[in-house]
Amino acid sequence: MDTMTNWHERLIRKTTRPTLVTTYRYWVWVAFLVAIVANGVFQYSKQWSEGLYVTGMRDRISWGLYITAFVFFIGISHAGTLISAILRASKATWRAPITRIAELITAVALVVGASFVLIDMGRPERIFNVFRYGRWQSPIMWDVMAITTYLTASVIYLYAPMIPDLALYRDRLANKVGFIRRFFYETVALNWRGLPSQVRFLGKAITIMMLLIMPIAVSVHTVVSWIFAMTLRVGWNTSIFGVLFVAGAIFSGVATLVLVMATLRRMYHWEEYLTPKHFLYLGYLLAAFAGFMIYVNINEYLTEGFKLEESGEFAFRQLFIDDFAAMFWFYVIGGLIAPIVIMLIPKTRTVAGVVVAAILVDIAMFLERYFIVVTGLRVPLMPYEPASYAPTFIEWSIFIAGVALFLLLITIALKVLPMFAVWEMTEEHELAIARQTEPVLQTGYEGPAPGVSGSPGPDGLTEGGLS
Amino acid sequence: MTSRPTRWFVRLSVLLLVVLSASPAFASSIGISVGAPETVTVGQQVEVKAILVEDGQPVVGAEVALTYQTTFGGRSGSVELATATTDESGVALMVYEQRAAHNDELQIVYLGPGTDPVDSYSFSITVAEGGAQLYQSESGVEIPFVNGTLVILVISLVWFLIALAAIRLVQVGKAGRVGKLVSDDVGEEGSMWIGVALASAAIFTAVGMVIVFVRAPVSNTDLTDPAVYDRTPIGYIDATYPYEGFGLADTSSAETGDPVVDGKALSLQYGCAACHAPTGLGGVVGVDLIEEVGSFNSFVEDVREGPKGMPAYSESSLSDADLQKIYDFLKARE
Ligand code: HEC
Repeated sequence: MDTMTNWHERLIRKTTRPTLVTTYRYWVWVAFLVAIVANGVFQYSKQWSEGLYVTGMRDRISWGLYITAFVFFIGISHAGTLISAILRASKATWRAPITRIAELITAVALVVGASFVLIDMGRPERIFNVFRYGRWQSPIMWDVMAITTYLTASVIYLYAPMIPDLALYRDRLANKVGFIRRFFYETVALNWRGLPSQVRFLGKAITIMMLLIMPIAVSVHTVVSWIFAMTLRVGWNTSIFGVLFVAGAIFSGVATLVLVMATLRRMYHWEEYLTPKHFLYLGYLLAAFAGFMIYVNINEYLTEGFKLEESGEFAFRQLFIDDFAAMFWFYVIGGLIAPIVIMLIPKTRTVAGVVVAAILVDIAMFLERYFIVVTGLRVPLMPYEPASYAPTFIEWSIFIAGVALFLLLITIALKVLPMFAVWEMTEEHELAIARQTEPVLQTGYEGPAPGVSGSPGPDGLTEGGLS
Repeated sequence: MTSRPTRWFVRLSVLLLVVLSASPAFASSIGISVGAPETVTVGQQVEVKAILVEDGQPVVGAEVALTYQTTFGGRSGSVELATATTDESGVALMVYEQRAAHNDELQIVYLGPGTDPVDSYSFSITVAEGGAQLYQSESGVEIPFVNGTLVILVISLVWFLIALAAIRLVQVGKAGRVGKLVSDDVGEEGSMWIGVALASAAIFTAVGMVIVFVRAPVSNTDLTDPAVYDRTPIGYIDATYPYEGFGLADTSSAETGDPVVDGKALSLQYGCAACHAPTGLGGVVGVDLIEEVGSFNSFVEDVREGPKGMPAYSESSLSDADLQKIYDFLKARE
C-alpha cells in the first residue's frame, strides 16, 4: 500500500532531483545557451555603436522583430497568471503540480520581453528620460507602468507560494548542496516553520496577489495592444485589439507552458505528477482559446472589411493575398484551426498531440505578432510605394539570444528553485485520499498533521534542525 | 510721347520734392514711446501701447509692429508679435499672448506710411515664474471625476495592495522568528531580511511610480520648471521668420577648419550623400565609399570621370581642395 509518507517522500525525492543531480548534459545545454546569448550581446554591441542603422528598420517601418519579440514574450508571461491565479481562485485542484512552472514562465518571460523594449531603442542611454519627462498621455508610459507593476506583482506571486517549498529545501537539502545554495535557502525561506500564524499571513499574501494579478495581467496586454490601437494606423485602428491581445497572450502562454512541461517531464521523469490529464486539460484550454481567437478575428476583419476604405483595401490585400498571406494563413490554419482539430479527434488527443498543437500555436502567435506590427506600419499614409522590412542578421541574432535567455533563466531556476508546489500537491493528495479511502488515511497516515501540512511539518523541521 | 528734356525735368522735380518732403521726417523726428507692463506670466494676454509723436503732434494712421528677437533652428531674427495702426491720439494698441518663458529684447518698429527709417524703440518685459501651460488641447470632453486623479488613485490602490502582500511576507518571517524564541527546538538562525527587502522594493517602486505620474507634465514641457518650456525651439504658426536658409546652403558650415567635419558638410553640399548615403556607406544608387578608400589620386580620377551613371564633377564645380576634405572625411570613417 502506498502510504502518505511514502508518497510524500517520493514526491520530494523526485522533485528535488534537478536541484541535486547535475549531469554533463546540463552543462552542455547551459554552455550552448550562454554561447547564443553571448553572440546576441556581441551583435547588440554593434547596434549600440552604429545605431539602429544596422537593423532593417527605417523611417516608415520603424518597428520590427524587436517589438514583435516584446509583444510575444509579454504574451507568454500570461501563462502563469491564467493557470495559476484563475485556477487557484476557482479551486481547480488539478492545477497544483503545474502552477509553479507557469508562474516561473511568467516572471522569466517578463524580464526577457521588457528587455526587448530597451533593445529596440535607438538611444537606450536616454531611458531615464521616460521617468524624467514622461507624459502620461502617452501609451508608452502606460506600458512602462503596467509592466513594472506586473513584474513586481508576479515576482511576489511566484515567491509567496514558494516559501514553504523553499523551507522544505532548506531543511532537506541543507547538507546536500553547497554553501551558496544553503545560504540562499536559509535566506529566502523566510523563517518558515509552518506555524499557524505564518500559514495565516502567507494565505493572506497569496490571496491578495491572486486576486490582484488577474486584473493586472489583463491590463498589461491590453495596454500593449493600445500601443498599436492608439496610433493612427489603418490596420491597428480597432477597439477589439485589447481583447485580441489578451486572448492571444493567454493562448501562447498556455502553449509555452505545455512545451516547458513536456520537456521537463521527459527529462526528469515527472510522469507521475505531470499526468496526461494535465496535458489534455491544457489542450482543451488551447482549443477553447483557438475558438475564441477565431471569433475575435472574424469580428475584427468583418466589421472593417464590410465598410472597406481605400487604405483598408491595401491592408487587406497584403494580409490575405499578397506579401503576408503565407504568414496569415498559417496563423489561421496552423495556429487556430489545427489545435481544435487535434483536440477533436480521439486519436490525436494525446500528450504528443497537445505538444504538437502547442508548437503550432507558439509559431502561429509569433507570426501573428509579426504581421500585426509590420503590416500596420507598411500601409502607406501618402501615395508612395509601400516600404519593405526584413530583419537583419543582427536582429535575428538578438532575437534568438532572447529566446536563449528565456530558456537559460528557466534552466538556472531548475537548479535552484522548487519546480513544484510540494505543499499544495501534498494537500491535494491528502484530500484526494480522504475522499476515496477513509481507512487508509486512518491507519496508514504518518505524515504531518493536516493543519500544518503546508510546511515540512514538525518532523521535517527537527530533521532540518539536527543536521 | 514726352521729349527728352521734359522727362529730365520731371525726374529732377520729383527728386527735389522727395528730398524736401522727406527731410523734416528724417533724423527720427517721429518719436516712439511705449506703455507696457513690467512683468507678465506665460499665457497672459499682454497689452502694449505705442505712442507716436511727430514735432509734438500725434501721428495718426501710422502702422507699427511689435517684434522680438528669437532664435529658431540655429538662426536668430526678429519675430512679429502684433501690428496696429495709431488712432487720432497717436496710440497704437497691440495685444499678444506671452508664450515664451523669457523675453529677449522687444521692439516697436515703425512700418509706415513712408519708407523713411525711424529708429525702433527697444524695451523689455520680464516674464515671472509660473503661469499657464503653453499648449493645452482645446478640444475634448471633460468628464467629472474621470481624470488623472482617478488614474493615480487606481494606481496607488494597486500598489498599496502589492505592498500589503509584501508586508504579509515580512510578517511571515517575523512570526517564524518569534517561534524560534519561544521554543528553542527549531534549527538554525533564520533570516527575514529578504521579506523586508521585497516589501521595501515594492513600496519604493510604488512611490516612485506615483511620483513619476504626478510629476508628469500635461504637455511636452515640465510645468514645475519654466526654464524647460523652451527645451525645444517653438515656432509659431502666425509668426514670420526671416529666411536665411538652413545648414547646407551656408558655406560657413564647411569652414570649421577641421577637414573631417568640413568634408562631411561638403559631401552633403555637393550631393555625394544623396547617392552614397550621409555616412558614405552606400545607398540605393551609389556604392559604399568607405569599404576601400583608395589613394587620393584615384579618388579624384573617379570623381572627375563619374563612373557608371555618377555625374562627373569638373574642376570648376568642385575644387581639388574641397575634394581633399571629402576624402579626409571618408578616410576618417574607414
Ligand atoms: C547621382 C548619384 C551620385 C552622386 C551624386 C555621386 N555619386 Fe559617386 N558614384 C555613383 C555611382 C552610380 C558610382 C558607380 C558605382 C559602381 O561602380 O557601380 C559612383 C562611384 C563613385 C566612386 C568610385 C567608387 C569605387 O570604388 O568604384 C567614388 C570615389 C565616388 N563615387 C565618389 C563620389 C563623390 C566624392 C561624390 C560627391 C562629390 C559622388 N560620388 C557623388 C553615384 C553618385
